[in-house]
Amino acid sequence: MKTSRWWLTAGLTAMAACSALRNDNPTRVLVSAAVSLTGVLEQIGAAYHQDTGVYVSFNLSGSDTLATQLIEGAPIDLFLSADGAQMDRVATAGRIVLDTRQDLLANQLVVIVPADRGGTVTEPGDLTSASIRHIALGDPDAVPAGVYARAYLESIGLWEAVAGKIVPTRDVRAVLAAVEAGNADTGFVYRTDLFNSKGVRLAFEVPLDEGGEIYYPAAVVTGAPSGAAAARFLEYLRSLAAKTAFEEAGFITMSADS
Amino acid sequence: MFVSSELLHVTSFSLGMAALATLVMLPPGVTLAWVLARHRFPGRSVVETLVSLPLVLPPVATGLILLKLLGRRGPVGRLLDAAGIDIIFTWKAVVLAMAVMALPLLVRTARAGFEQVDRRYEQIAETLGASPARVFFTISLPLARRGVIAGSILGFSRALGEFGATIMIAGALPGTRTLSVAIYSHTQTGQEAAALGLLVAAVILAFTAVFVSNRLSDTRTEH
Amino acid sequence: MDPVPVSLDFTLNQGSFTLSIHEHFEACTVALLGPSGAGKTTVLEVIAGLRRPSAGKIRIGTRQLFGSDGGLDLPARGRRVGYVPQDVALFPHLNVRHNVLYGAARGELVPDEKVVHLLEIEPLMDRRTEGLSGGERQRVAIARALASAPDVLLLDEPLAAVDVALRGRILTYIARVRDELAMPIIYVSHVEDEVQRIADWVIVLDSGRVVGSGPPGRTTGR
Repeated sequence: MKTSRWWLTAGLTAMAACSALRNDNPTRVLVSAAVSLTGVLEQIGAAYHQDTGVYVSFNLSGSDTLATQLIEGAPIDLFLSADGAQMDRVATAGRIVLDTRQDLLANQLVVIVPADRGGTVTEPGDLTSASIRHIALGDPDAVPAGVYARAYLESIGLWEAVAGKIVPTRDVRAVLAAVEAGNADTGFVYRTDLFNSKGVRLAFEVPLDEGGEIYYPAAVVTGAPSGAAAARFLEYLRSLAAKTAFEEAGFITMSADS
Repeated sequence: MFVSSELLHVTSFSLGMAALATLVMLPPGVTLAWVLARHRFPGRSVVETLVSLPLVLPPVATGLILLKLLGRRGPVGRLLDAAGIDIIFTWKAVVLAMAVMALPLLVRTARAGFEQVDRRYEQIAETLGASPARVFFTISLPLARRGVIAGSILGFSRALGEFGATIMIAGALPGTRTLSVAIYSHTQTGQEAAALGLLVAAVILAFTAVFVSNRLSDTRTEH
Repeated sequence: MDPVPVSLDFTLNQGSFTLSIHEHFEACTVALLGPSGAGKTTVLEVIAGLRRPSAGKIRIGTRQLFGSDGGLDLPARGRRVGYVPQDVALFPHLNVRHNVLYGAARGELVPDEKVVHLLEIEPLMDRRTEGLSGGERQRVAIARALASAPDVLLLDEPLAAVDVALRGRILTYIARVRDELAMPIIYVSHVEDEVQRIADWVIVLDSGRVVGSGPPGRTTGR
């Protein structure tokens, strides 16, 4: 019967795909990392492989999902979170080697406007103007970018005034989409997102010392299958080559003793 | 659109995994469908509800339940780990997530197929000396085949589109990246062109599957 | 053929309907007569094992099929009963040959010649069931039941779906089965005349109770 033959083919394709991907190299480092790091990490991982022959694979998702997986015992070697709170969760569950925890990167909160409306917002006070009707944010109750944005607005006393204009979204990507399309007049995203999008432009940066700096902690996972290799890769992430790649993508790199 | 090697790779992987998931869930799914269609037993509504859960819960919630069960620290995962079997973060987790999420659709559609089979035929077969297994394979199943096939195709397309549970227990690794996960990754990092190509592939596949399934379920003709 | 001893001694309670029958007799062909709703079909279903009585016992020939005292309830597939329901129910996805062969012993590729010949269904063997006439369907259904080598044949209103003009012919076939295969038959009908021609024992049912039983002529034509 045709159907069964088709399934057989599909099944064989699956097997072939799997065997092609199975790694026969004994050293493989598995890194869970925030999805916002996708492009740059893959680049760095490839360079690392060139240098050392070690394969680095990335499991890229939202930091909350990554943390949950780790807590349930996922076989990961290194965790790179976009949110300190998620790293805390994992630490509390005893799943990271505490003295390997370090802030590897930072990102900066910025305010954007649609690319064709440059100049409508140049400083925080502009957010209260009547021409700004919708401000897109990651949900201030759940998404880190939204949490920090709200904290910033509260710290400069503007939250009350603009609370009615806030449009909470699922994630930063949705904020970008809303502003690009003009559905939101302005929005809060990370500087790295700005680098990835053509339909928006920078309105102003949230000063680093006023809550605009978001840290990306990294740590080696307890009982990691390739713990030593993970630690070496983590060191590599502080190398000049890696730093350059991160900065080109819009991240702020932290020094080792921060 | 850009038919990149990633597109081909991810699409064929997803197709293969969805096909495997469909094969895996057929025996339990069809059996469940038949049992629910034909038999009253204590605890039947509990079983019905359990089977429907993945349809009603957010996929991430189902993924979380699976993760808690199968993770290293979970009741089942602990045993698997001791036996040296890896499921989480491998392609097996992809198949499992797909099968769990698609099972309710298969059971529902196949069950409707079985319910449409006149019991009289099964009864006559019994009086002619057929065992329950023989009745099932020679009478019930053939007469319900449209519903079963439609359910399989629907389940297959659901498996193909599966995301929330998959990403939770299989991760988003090179070796476990399905079409849906790849679309997610690319949109999260602003790589819209790549995402678009994958999206088109996903839509075409899903459309075809549901269309065919609906045509088969249309029981206007037939006994 | 020699008459066969039969015990139909059971009650069945189903909501507002109660079927109660306590008959013991010997016969070759038994007719169950009565208006619709009397419970005749139910009696056949109980004998076939498709419905379970509340209590009682059922015995056909030397075999006991059901006995609530001893906890005996043979499943339908073990009763060796050939059942032809009122709606005939030929398997729609199988052709005539495979319908007839369904109950035949394993390994048998050719249906019992005698049965095929008796009911004259040879020309129909490779046909699909859809295109058959009422009379043809009836004959195929009887052949299917007989091919499973039952101890007794149960016929529920076999002439209901047959053209009036052909009813006599079908009755003739049934009579042949009775005579040439020495097959005991339990025959349900609501038409007295039919019954007269075929049966040597009649049970009259009304509203779930037996209102008369005995050789035809004595119970009928009241």
